[in-house]
Amino acid sequence: MSTTNALGEILEFHWMMDMLQTVDVGIVVLNSDFEIKVWNGFMEAHSGKLPSEVRGKTLFSLFPDISETWFRRKTKAVFELRIRAFITWEQRPYLFKFRNFRPITGTEPFMYQNISISALVSATGAVDHICMMVYDMTDAASAKKQLLALQVEHSEMTQAAK
Amino acid sequence: MISVLICDDSLVARKQVAKCLPQDWDVAVHFAKDGAEALIALAEGKGQVLLLDLNMPGMDGYQTLKGINEQQLLTKTIIVSGDIQPEAKERVMALGAIDFIQKPVSSADLAAVLRKHNILALAEEQTAEGLDDTLRDCYQEVTNIAMGQAGDHLARIMNVFVKLPIPNVNLIEVSELHMILSDIEMHEETSGVCQGFLGDGISGEALCILSDSSFGDVAKILDIHEAVDDELQLEILMDVASILIGSCLSGFAKQLDMQFRQGQPVVLGQHQSVEDLIKLNKNNWRKTLAIELSYGLEGYNVQCDLVLLFTEDSLETLNSKLAHLLED
Repeated sequence: MSTTNALGEILEFHWMMDMLQTVDVGIVVLNSDFEIKVWNGFMEAHSGKLPSEVRGKTLFSLFPDISETWFRRKTKAVFELRIRAFITWEQRPYLFKFRNFRPITGTEPFMYQNISISALVSATGAVDHICMMVYDMTDAASAKKQLLALQVEHSEMTQAAK
Repeated sequence: MISVLICDDSLVARKQVAKCLPQDWDVAVHFAKDGAEALIALAEGKGQVLLLDLNMPGMDGYQTLKGINEQQLLTKTIIVSGDIQPEAKERVMALGAIDFIQKPVSSADLAAVLRKHNILALAEEQTAEGLDDTLRDCYQEVTNIAMGQAGDHLARIMNVFVKLPIPNVNLIEVSELHMILSDIEMHEETSGVCQGFLGDGISGEALCILSDSSFGDVAKILDIHEAVDDELQLEILMDVASILIGSCLSGFAKQLDMQFRQGQPVVLGQHQSVEDLIKLNKNNWRKTLAIELSYGLEGYNVQCDLVLLFTEDSLETLNSKLAHLLED
């Protein structure tokens, strides 16, 4: 009886992992030294870096463009206060420079990203890890840019008409 | 309680109008000598109903009506005037008055007009929908504890002493929220971030408003040494907002034995004017429960306001959760 239960749990764990792998959101888990613990399929596909390549390495050694002081400051409250931190594309277009998911018909050269960082509470109640979720916001960003361009054009036209 | 403002340059006329108000009508009566005074009183929320004379020295009744339109003040205006020319009546109705009563006023006339426009019913509806005192007290206490936690969080992460205010709990109308928001937009000295939250059938939005003069000091506190340009300002705003909103909400939720999920924060009015945002939403809701908090940091020039807005349809769930708290 217990073996079937255990087997069931393993099977469940398996498809849950599969889901994390295939979900269309980037998932990165970091420990308090900012070493990468989880790097899901989305991150692998867009960065071209295999999980085996990145696991155990620090975020800053893999992505030297990310400022360490800035990122530590950003995540301090997540570790200490267990609140969520946010990075929006409007402020910082991307954290990871990925190519546009539609390299041919897309108008933007890179992927705009919204990122939320949340605390992962361990079984002991401490926060030893944080989880980063990376969302592709390219469509929203390019729509907003187009809208803005149209507004400018429109106001210029009305100015000219006067 | 509903508020009535009587505006007339003559003391006798003001008293006479006040005497004609229905006896059993539970109202707060305010007076103004001219249009200018009336506009100020209206802006202070002292006149849900305005009884307005037309001919006054200084700002007359017509100008007052124009002023009400320009400032988008929310009031039901009934003209009380001796000038009974059809033209006068037409003009004031075009300017937004809802009715016209001839001077001298009689109790019967006034009652008939008030009844016709459902204003008497308005008062009853308001008392029915208002927050009862125990509940308000409960909201205040829960918020107090939550903001205490948020303050403690801020204090620990920033190493500063946080001055905690008494939270202000109110049911507010769309128009009032409109005032708060357009205030942010009009004053370039303030910036705001809003963030949606929801959980257990309760949903709402948190608004964090930071005065721009605070940025320098906040940067110092957050240990940011770079020059504070526009982009960095935005980032500071976002960071302060997430700390305040995040810890306040989690403190609030914990007491109600629930959890809120937070959406991505959005900077207010960056891409769309606040006016448009509210206009689009106008039909979706009428009232919202607003909890206002304003934080200050001792020794620093930092002023930060946090407003938690709960949607009308969340109130029932929220109230029942609080009721549990009261029972225990």
